Amino acid sequence: MSARSFRSVFTVATCAGAALTCYLVSLNVASERAALEEVETKIVLAQRDIRLLQTEIGTRGRLAQLERWNVKVLALSAPSADQFLEGGFQLARLGRPEPKLNVEAPVVLASAPAPHPQPAPLEEGERRAAGAGATASSAAQLMQQASLKIPMREPVQLAVPIVGTETRNEQSVAKKVLAPANSTAEKSESARASKPAKPAPGKSAKAPETRPAQADKKAGDKKIVAAAKPVTKPVRTAKVDPLAPLPASANSKKTTGNSGTAR
Amino acid sequence: MNAPTPALVAPRPERLRLVGQRRQILTMMHQRLMFGLLVYAGVVALIVLRIVYLAAFGDHAGAKRGLTALVPERGDIVDRDGQPLARTIDAWTVGLWPRKVIGNKLDLARKLAQLMPERDEATYFAMLRSNKSFFYLRRRAAPGVVEAVNAIGEPGLALEREPDRLYPQTSLAAHVIGYTDVDGKGTAGIEWALNDKLSDAATRSQPVQLSISSKVQQALEHELLAAMTHFSAVGAAGIIMDIHSGEVLAMTSLPQLNPNAAGKGSMEARFNRATLGVYELGSTFKPFTVAMAMDSGVVRSMGQIYNCPNQLNVYGRTINDTHPFNRTCTVAEIMKESSNIGTAQIAAQLGATRQKEFLRKMGFLDPVAIELREKGRTLSPGSNWGPLETMTVGYGHGIAVTPLHLASGYAALFNGGLYRPATLLKVGRDHAAAKGRRVFSEGTSYKMRSLLRLVVTKGTGRKADAPGYRVGGKTGSAEKYHNRSLLVTTFAGVFPMDEPRYVVVVMLDEPKATAETYGFRTAGWNVAPVVSRTVGRIAPMLGVRPDKNREPDMSTVLPFVHEKTEH
Repeated sequence: MSARSFRSVFTVATCAGAALTCYLVSLNVASERAALEEVETKIVLAQRDIRLLQTEIGTRGRLAQLERWNVKVLALSAPSADQFLEGGFQLARLGRPEPKLNVEAPVVLASAPAPHPQPAPLEEGERRAAGAGATASSAAQLMQQASLKIPMREPVQLAVPIVGTETRNEQSVAKKVLAPANSTAEKSESARASKPAKPAPGKSAKAPETRPAQADKKAGDKKIVAAAKPVTKPVRTAKVDPLAPLPASANSKKTTGNSGTAR
Repeated sequence: MNAPTPALVAPRPERLRLVGQRRQILTMMHQRLMFGLLVYAGVVALIVLRIVYLAAFGDHAGAKRGLTALVPERGDIVDRDGQPLARTIDAWTVGLWPRKVIGNKLDLARKLAQLMPERDEATYFAMLRSNKSFFYLRRRAAPGVVEAVNAIGEPGLALEREPDRLYPQTSLAAHVIGYTDVDGKGTAGIEWALNDKLSDAATRSQPVQLSISSKVQQALEHELLAAMTHFSAVGAAGIIMDIHSGEVLAMTSLPQLNPNAAGKGSMEARFNRATLGVYELGSTFKPFTVAMAMDSGVVRSMGQIYNCPNQLNVYGRTINDTHPFNRTCTVAEIMKESSNIGTAQIAAQLGATRQKEFLRKMGFLDPVAIELREKGRTLSPGSNWGPLETMTVGYGHGIAVTPLHLASGYAALFNGGLYRPATLLKVGRDHAAAKGRRVFSEGTSYKMRSLLRLVVTKGTGRKADAPGYRVGGKTGSAEKYHNRSLLVTTFAGVFPMDEPRYVVVVMLDEPKATAETYGFRTAGWNVAPVVSRTVGRIAPMLGVRPDKNREPDMSTVLPFVHEKTEH
């Protein structure tokens, strides 16, 4: 009964509520729109400011001004034709590495003033033979001594890599028999490995004739041989030591091999 | 009211009658009331609807109009990379309303004279006392001055913002851009030529993009100005152009003015030598003559022999050479040593009719084709184009064109033989390259490459060579018509010559000899080095790779050059 009588009131209230809601929605929309417009205005103002600042920067940093600074202070110039490169290969060609002759030698020389003068000169000598220069005066002295003995060992050492295995056998035989013949032949520094290797068979034929005369020389030479023998020994033990000369020769071979493939 | 009624007729009872009347009145009243209510409701509904409509779609108090887009008062001008060359900014204007002044006029005049010393105190006082309603005190006032004027606090002083044209690069490409008058109307250059487009509300939001490259322009202007001051020339002009599209990448005329203060520039500075000035450009015409002759079959080979005596007497006139051969010479040698005598003979063989036709096709007889309105009228022999005139025109005398004509002609000669009008607007999607018309055959165009490269490697233009950039071109030194002791020296060149892309035309007006030119003032000594330096600067920017191993096919010309003639 009461609900029925209040029906109209409810209807009016509902209508009013709906209208109010609609109005609120539209109000909300309007306020959002206003906010958007405000943002847009801000954007335009910011753009105007940016434009103004750009204009100012452009005017202050105009090309004529930059040119003036360049003439007075910077003195930059356009790149010349030689400064342009074709590509990576041409660029790489510019950065050519320093040619390395022998890296290990100076390192060993630093340890040259050895406490034991006996093995040291021989080592030095060997390195000298490899082509290194001496720095310390004491070391140089030692090396001069050693250089006298170089011809003794050199054929033995150098004949190995250059001459084939067969000649090596021959050489060993010849050396056993004809050590003095070799020593006489190699007193001159210029005698190189190839030389003794070739005449070796010829000299082996002559050997029987000169055999008796060599007795005294042999005695003198034996010292040298004995002195030279330790040379070979450090060479062997040096395999443990990375700075030792034998790896040096091995390294040099490797590097040449590498450069060969690189070329 | 209650009058007795005759009882004869059965009367309606009084009460009833009254009731009936009342009801009737009541109904009427109801109807009226209803009508009024409806009208009222309608009015209210109308108001409500209007309010709702306004709330939904209408304006509101905080709305700001007119700022939703940034449209300048006058369109921007930008270069081909988008760098602004001309812009409109809001500048402060200081004005004066003499009648609105309330303070002491003498004091005010003193203050104004302190702030803006361009007028003295008495002038300001006279202005304040005058009957005029308004004066401009200063347009484009600096912010500091505006602040100080505002601090005076005089209502008669008006501070207003006014759109103003600013050229950020100052004098760069001043003759191309031009300038506007105080009211913002273009009066020179592109500002004048495209005034409608720049000021039209529909099109001004889009900037006008020029084909000018400001970096190239700066390089050209700098090198040219250096040469102009060094050789004490009265003027200079330079053009760099893309030979395929006809786009002008740089165009300058010296001396030039600052368009921000165009009124202060002299008449000399306002004169655009590149498009308005016409000059006899001399030997730079010789390649055209040779190309015309090759195209018409007169010259069949670079080794074709001509007789080149010390002097050539024709039609009562003597033609001289600066480097006379006094023997027979080949076409290649004629070009290399820039022989007037040889070229005159080639032109004579070609004949006036064909020469005129070629020049017409290259646009040399019409005002230059470009957007600018400053166009010079070319001078030619006109109606008395006889055999002698044919010969002199053959080596560039007796015909006066603008440097831009020359650039267009060289572009036509080296882009494969197509003439295209020059343009100052960037060729792109919204501006297509102009249609070309054939002047020379492609074969002629190709053969000319090695010929002009020869001039630079072995001939008169040796100083124009930029190592690696294969510059080819021709020097030209012509005497001025009014004073034969004054020269106009020109170099027209193309680079890279093995695949031509850009043409450079540089001109010096009345250069003087200096010590290091050994007293010479011909083109090879003064403008050719400008070309070398400019090309060395701009070619890397334009994407031309220097390569010292590339050359055009020189085997077509070198066999016909006898080194004995080397001076």
